[in-house]
Amino acid sequence: MDMNDPLRREEKRESTPDREDSGPTSPDTSRPGRDSILKRMKKVDPKQSEKYKQRTGQ
Amino acid sequence: MSSIVPLMGIETEYGIIREDVETSDPVEESMALLQRCEVPSVFRAWAYKHENSHLDLRGFNVPSLAQDEEEDEFCAEDRKRPYSYWEMKCDRVLGNGARFYNDHTHPEYTTPECNSVFQLVAHDVAGERIVAECARLRNQDLGQNAVQVFKNNTDYSGHSYGTHDNFLIPRKLPFENWVQGLVPFLVTRQLYAGAGKVGSENRKGPSHTGLQLSQRADFIETILSIETMTQRPIINTRDEPHATPEKYRRLHLILGDANMSPYQTALKVGATRLVLSLIGEQKLHNPIELEDPVSAVKRVSRDKTGKVLLHRITGGTITPLEIQQVYLDQVEKHALGQCKETDWIIHEWRRTLTELEYSPEKLADRIDWAIKEKLFSEFREAEGLDWDDPWLQSLDLEYHNLDPERGLYRALEEEGNVTHLFPEAEVTEATRQPPEGTRAMIRGMMVQHEKDNIKNIHWTGVEFKKGPALDLSEVVTPADVEHMLNSKKEQFAWI
Repeated sequence: MDMNDPLRREEKRESTPDREDSGPTSPDTSRPGRDSILKRMKKVDPKQSEKYKQRTGQ
Repeated sequence: MSSIVPLMGIETEYGIIREDVETSDPVEESMALLQRCEVPSVFRAWAYKHENSHLDLRGFNVPSLAQDEEEDEFCAEDRKRPYSYWEMKCDRVLGNGARFYNDHTHPEYTTPECNSVFQLVAHDVAGERIVAECARLRNQDLGQNAVQVFKNNTDYSGHSYGTHDNFLIPRKLPFENWVQGLVPFLVTRQLYAGAGKVGSENRKGPSHTGLQLSQRADFIETILSIETMTQRPIINTRDEPHATPEKYRRLHLILGDANMSPYQTALKVGATRLVLSLIGEQKLHNPIELEDPVSAVKRVSRDKTGKVLLHRITGGTITPLEIQQVYLDQVEKHALGQCKETDWIIHEWRRTLTELEYSPEKLADRIDWAIKEKLFSEFREAEGLDWDDPWLQSLDLEYHNLDPERGLYRALEEEGNVTHLFPEAEVTEATRQPPEGTRAMIRGMMVQHEKDNIKNIHWTGVEFKKGPALDLSEVVTPADVEHMLNSKKEQFAWI
């Protein structure tokens, strides 16, 4: 493993077809998976944040 | 490696709740979570004797640290519990050099000290995996998916818990220089570092409907303070370097958000490190001074365009985008070409600011607040909801859930809808192995090889039941690490 070498990431990026110039892998956010995230969102209890009580941290 | 900022680390306090009981007890649940950790570690051996959180960087001691009245009452109740302090803290030091324990009823994962940004981000994500695995094992014991853990900073009712980014910096430059150079940068880095929050919790000021950039902005009340639970500052003044105090300070930044996007963590920590290098080398020219930085933190958070006008002490106004561009231009001039990691950060910093200005929708693949903006807007449209509908805050919370079956960011990751920074194998490696070339590597190796011989352990050293102690307070560079290991071959045959 060589986590200190960003070049490895650039090599990975170059294999990404939708990359315009440099930068990390850009996903295609219009792909069909969007439907399943909306389904997951619909399952969220609308009252969940009201039930979520925490104590003050730092 | 930056000579000005040789080491960095991130502390993350996680939110925790048990859903199958009427009242979830965070003390019990945090303890149970930590007790379920199966990662090789040293348990309940943290050397608190080396800590002093009451010393202020401005040159004085405070008698005590403050917390609000509600937390005072909780703590009074905690003292009646049948547990010792050690039992409640459940301190672990892991074989990867990280610390994992309970801090103010929140499971906290503190990464090992890292000397590169990508190394640090891999360890931050490794922390998510370790915490999520503890939750899975705890739920296995309970026979149901009752315990949920969140990498966020608020319960939407005024209780905040932190994600602190830490940078080792030289002592020789006066603290005032760091403050003057950093404040406008920190006030505005939320443009790309904010995790996004639906609604607001600032009881002293105007409320906000809709999504704001930052989870933490509502809780920032002053420019400088040693406090972390009340009067939270833009720059924390706790003087606890965890290294030779004559040579180093630890800059302890508590205003940041917990990011689900590793890209965003890399950009946040990377840009901050480059600005610190600029200040440390005294290359920051014409520093901007804002008239009211504390109010600006909130104003920046509530304007997603980056174009809100902020007043300068010298007169006139400037926008958050312009402030970031001033820093970026100077960093680019000073540091471009130094190394590939630096170039990546400068390039991505530029790309992100440009997209925020001209095509902000493009940020929805890598910046948490922008991902939420797109996701929640689609959902609002589909369900006909207003921004103040409680369902939106519940979705906001679920975005940060570490459960792969429930978390919204986890779903986006699985579907390939967000920027991927690391192969999973690299993150798995970081759950097991410490970062190379750092003093955390020595700590991690000691946990892996000398676990049963460790009497106590800390950022700055290890004491053994048998054999001389290791002092890591002067071990900062990879050369220091190599020298230390070479000098200990007689004591530790496995080196």
